[in-house]
Amino acid sequence: MIAAKLKHIGVFIGLFCLGSGTALAQSTAVTDAAKQEGKVVAYGSLESDTVEALKQAFQRKTGLQLEYWRASATKVMDRALSEYRAGKPIFDVVLTNSAPMHVLEKAGIFAKYESPAAKEFPSEAIDPVLGPRYRNVIIGIMYNKDLVKPADAPKNLQDLLKPEFRGKIVMPDPTQHTTTAQWLASLYKIMGKEKAHKFIDDLAATKPILVESLLPAARRVTSGETPIGITYIKYAYMYGKQGAPLDYVRLPKMLGDGHYITLSNKAVHPNAAKAFIDFFLGDQSMKLMAQLGEFVNLKGVYPPLPGADKIQFVQMDDFNGKGFAQLKKDYAQIFTR
Amino acid sequence: MQILSNSRMGARSDAAVSRWARSAARAFRVQPIHATFVLVVAVVAFLGLYPCAYLLYGSVIDTPLGVPGHFTLGNYVHAYGDPAIYALIWSSFVFAAGSSALSVFLALLLAWITIRTNAPGRRLFEITAIIPNVMPPLLIAISWVLLLNPNNGLINVALTRGLGLRQSLFNIYSLPGLIFVEGMNLTPLAFLIIAAALKSMDPALEESGKTLGSSELGVAARITFPLMRPALLAAATLNFVRAIESFDVPAIIAIPARIDVFTTQIYREALGSFPPNQNLAAAYGVGILVIALICVYIYRSLTSRVETFATVTGRGYRPHSIDLGGWKYAASGVAFVILVMTLLLPLAVLLLVALLPFYHVPTWATLHTFTLDHFREILQNDRTYRAFGNSGFLAVAGATVCVLLAALISYFTVRTKIAGRSVLEALVFVPWAFPGVALALGLLWAYVDFPIPIYATIWILFIGYVTRFLPYGVRTVSSTVIQIHQELEEASKVCGAGYFATFRRILLPLMRPGVIAAWIVLATIFIREFSISIFLYSPGSEPLGPLLYFYYLDGNYGRMAAVGLAITLICALLVALAQRLSQSETG
Repeated sequence: MIAAKLKHIGVFIGLFCLGSGTALAQSTAVTDAAKQEGKVVAYGSLESDTVEALKQAFQRKTGLQLEYWRASATKVMDRALSEYRAGKPIFDVVLTNSAPMHVLEKAGIFAKYESPAAKEFPSEAIDPVLGPRYRNVIIGIMYNKDLVKPADAPKNLQDLLKPEFRGKIVMPDPTQHTTTAQWLASLYKIMGKEKAHKFIDDLAATKPILVESLLPAARRVTSGETPIGITYIKYAYMYGKQGAPLDYVRLPKMLGDGHYITLSNKAVHPNAAKAFIDFFLGDQSMKLMAQLGEFVNLKGVYPPLPGADKIQFVQMDDFNGKGFAQLKKDYAQIFTR
Repeated sequence: MQILSNSRMGARSDAAVSRWARSAARAFRVQPIHATFVLVVAVVAFLGLYPCAYLLYGSVIDTPLGVPGHFTLGNYVHAYGDPAIYALIWSSFVFAAGSSALSVFLALLLAWITIRTNAPGRRLFEITAIIPNVMPPLLIAISWVLLLNPNNGLINVALTRGLGLRQSLFNIYSLPGLIFVEGMNLTPLAFLIIAAALKSMDPALEESGKTLGSSELGVAARITFPLMRPALLAAATLNFVRAIESFDVPAIIAIPARIDVFTTQIYREALGSFPPNQNLAAAYGVGILVIALICVYIYRSLTSRVETFATVTGRGYRPHSIDLGGWKYAASGVAFVILVMTLLLPLAVLLLVALLPFYHVPTWATLHTFTLDHFREILQNDRTYRAFGNSGFLAVAGATVCVLLAALISYFTVRTKIAGRSVLEALVFVPWAFPGVALALGLLWAYVDFPIPIYATIWILFIGYVTRFLPYGVRTVSSTVIQIHQELEEASKVCGAGYFATFRRILLPLMRPGVIAAWIVLATIFIREFSISIFLYSPGSEPLGPLLYFYYLDGNYGRMAAVGLAITLICALLVALAQRLSQSETG
């Protein structure tokens, strides 16, 4: 009973301080109320190792526990929606990429929370609805240096069409993998419409090896099964530091997707959730993520991948369900004919 | 007035309930078997129909569950209206039939060599034959890709270098490659079912055959194998449906091979689409349910004359060993080759992946890079211990409950003439027929709003596992029960024993090889279960399946292989223990 009263008092103090406007007061109040709640439950598609490192730092800093449920972006969305519609959401925070986040937002799952840490992000990295885009996952061309000498490596996307690379490129199957369909459909943003259409047709004609998603594509390049892959370029750093002979092609512009963190409007631990969001978007967390190879959006913070600071990120287009279904249908005709 | 009326009604209904309870208790005392049957039907119906009802309902509405929608057949029109889907169903049929046939052939060969012959090393082969069942299909598929991919598969590299070939001999990315890998996946399950039945077989018929002048191989071909029909059909049916609904192996091998099967279509159109179309997934799931029910019907028709297969009789018996003479070494060689393919090669690749900092084809120059870091990392991680604890509990407790239920179901469906027994059998197979991921959705929908708060606890996994894998237990136990002659029960009843005394003292001991085989099948599946766990686990109740999957998803193949090896080792000990228990009974 007393605990419940204390909880209510804590929530009241939290809400009161939120209205007061100063970031410091907000942060302190949130932390105090959060301590009453003890833990935060997050659903997300951020890699487990990264979350594990953040969890340790978060617990050291706040004394709060983080419980994390990891899945692919669509599964995160599915589970959050199913729980929410059944009236039993057990998650406080969701962290995943743009398209599923917008679906969840339209379903009315999120509460608006403006973290004081958000002001450190550049304005172009702040979505009016979802808040700061904390990281970009960038898709590019990665190659195995033992199989393709850097001098002979492709220099741009068009080079992938050269006869010497025919059958030596691996990429996710765009009829199965949503992000790859999105990447192909957004190529016009860095190539122009006509060039992009022709490139997609010509790429399909080279009969690339199709795999289920971006990671198996990277694995095949890492193991030397296929020399060149279309995949997340962060893998060049992540596997490279284990000794894999990898590099990536320095394209002038690269497409990718943004990831966000948001608060549930039915959070069981709302203050602990806010404390986590504050920590997550803060300087310490962003630097930790960058050290692990992530392209975070905090000014001046880059992953230790050579040339990372020169990459020009271009956000891929978002599609709705019908849009994705049409894309997959189109690519089924192009890639499997 | 209203209150008075309610209170009278309440008193009346209390009296009715009390009368019903008294009559039920009397019925239980007089005919306990019927009451137990009703109880088992109720449990199985609830486990199977509750989540499946959600799925069936989901397949005929136009909105996700939880959102008000309208009745529609549009999902079925979408799923089955395109003629191209029938080509996919056919390619799935070829894939599943091929994999199932290969697995049953290899399992029968291995079971016969290890149980009925004097081949050297047969006991060791028998124990190790089951171990691959603990290896997740995902790991087996990855292992075979690393062994047989045309570019740098280890076997292809060794052969091209050793024989001076210009081109790789094998290409895993092909229909035969797909069938081969799924066949390797399915062989241990078929072995368990067939070996249990072989152990329970009375040798009298075989001895008669020999007395009449037939050779050992003639007896095997004309007497032993035909008598094995229920077990062979059970193994073939189970494996056929398992292959039809398999997604792991097609995802790794069929997509690069550009082969489309039914499950890759379900993934593309429904579960992997954005946002996932669960209604369409449910409609596809119902299609697989129909295929599975047809399989069950065929199986029931082929084994309906159960007397034909009754080979465990009231006479004392001990399966005799066939003396193969000089051929016994060849038989050992064949068993060894099967085990190399199903176990040793995938394990060797896993070990290699676990020892290398990142996977590549090892050369003399890279041998110095071998490291124990991946093992160290999993040993230092609390998450690993928690996952082993959760999966250990689910494997031991879940398999035990499941086997007890399976033994009762097998008894009712095979041994009794109770009206409604075929309904019970059909009920068992309903959840099995849905693809794992689709059923997981049904379970999630069913239990997220369940009055008893099991959602977000380990108990939802427990219920999910028992629901989905009960048919495996039932098929394995049933194939042994079919072989037990009715004369033993009749003798027990003549001597005054009741149903339960007969079940406990006569049937259960005779069913023991099947029961133990079922327990091993279930425990080894539960310990690495993935498709249900991934949807239903919550923070804190993470079992090993999702842990392995996340290592895969995050690209930590070294840690994935290290955990895979640890699971294999633990399960090998579990299997050896269970085998010893089984042998102490039959041998």
